[in-house]
Amino acid sequence: MNQIYWMLELIPESVLIWLYYTALTSGVVMLAAGWLIKWFPGINAYKTLIQFVGLILTAGSLYLLGGYGTELMWRSRVADMQKKVDEAQALSAAANRMTAERVEVQTKVVREKGKDIIKYVDREVVKKEEIIKYIEQCPVPKEIIDLHNQAAELNKAAEGKK
Amino acid sequence: MKKFILVLAVALSACTSVPVAPKFPEAPQVLKDKCESLKKIEGDKVAITEMLKVVIHNYTLYYECSTKVEGWQEWYDTQKKIYESIK
Repeated sequence: MNQIYWMLELIPESVLIWLYYTALTSGVVMLAAGWLIKWFPGINAYKTLIQFVGLILTAGSLYLLGGYGTELMWRSRVADMQKKVDEAQALSAAANRMTAERVEVQTKVVREKGKDIIKYVDREVVKKEEIIKYIEQCPVPKEIIDLHNQAAELNKAAEGKK
Repeated sequence: MKKFILVLAVALSACTSVPVAPKFPEAPQVLKDKCESLKKIEGDKVAITEMLKVVIHNYTLYYECSTKVEGWQEWYDTQKKIYESIK
């Protein structure tokens, strides 16, 4: 059936519509003629043939007209939907840029702030007398260091459970 | 006549469907980058200031990662709203 529609698409639309309506008119006229023919004895024998051809023409042209109307309706819906999708994609891209910029700026601020604090420790904190004394007298016990390092690798324990 | 009406009904029910599906949005690369692993304290005898620096570094990593998570939440909420607006 798709091949028939594809072939019909090759014919200009105005010609197609003209053909459909001509076939429909002919079909209706032939159906009416098939009903009227009983009063004309000479051609009475063709009644069934005329009615049959009229029925085929009417049904066929109505089918094609219906298909054409449906096609137009779907094309319109597809165009509307495509427009909405295009707008949504533009909005989505804009939202992506905003999110990316916000995350990049915040990450940079956090990183800079962290570096500043570490620099402050190196520049100021280590020079204070009480801190120097503390460092000399109280190195951090190995057990504390090991526990810190274990905690820093908690994610590895979770990965192992996967 | 009944057959004629039946044929007409079948003829008029002809239809085709053409679906248009929105493309799944791509997340920004900055959100897709993995969070860095936390830093460990190196050495056996470590000064409290060295330990403090590692802790500060790890706090920094935590807040960097938490910014990414908030970014993902914002991305999801925004994209969901956009997707629902085209239904």
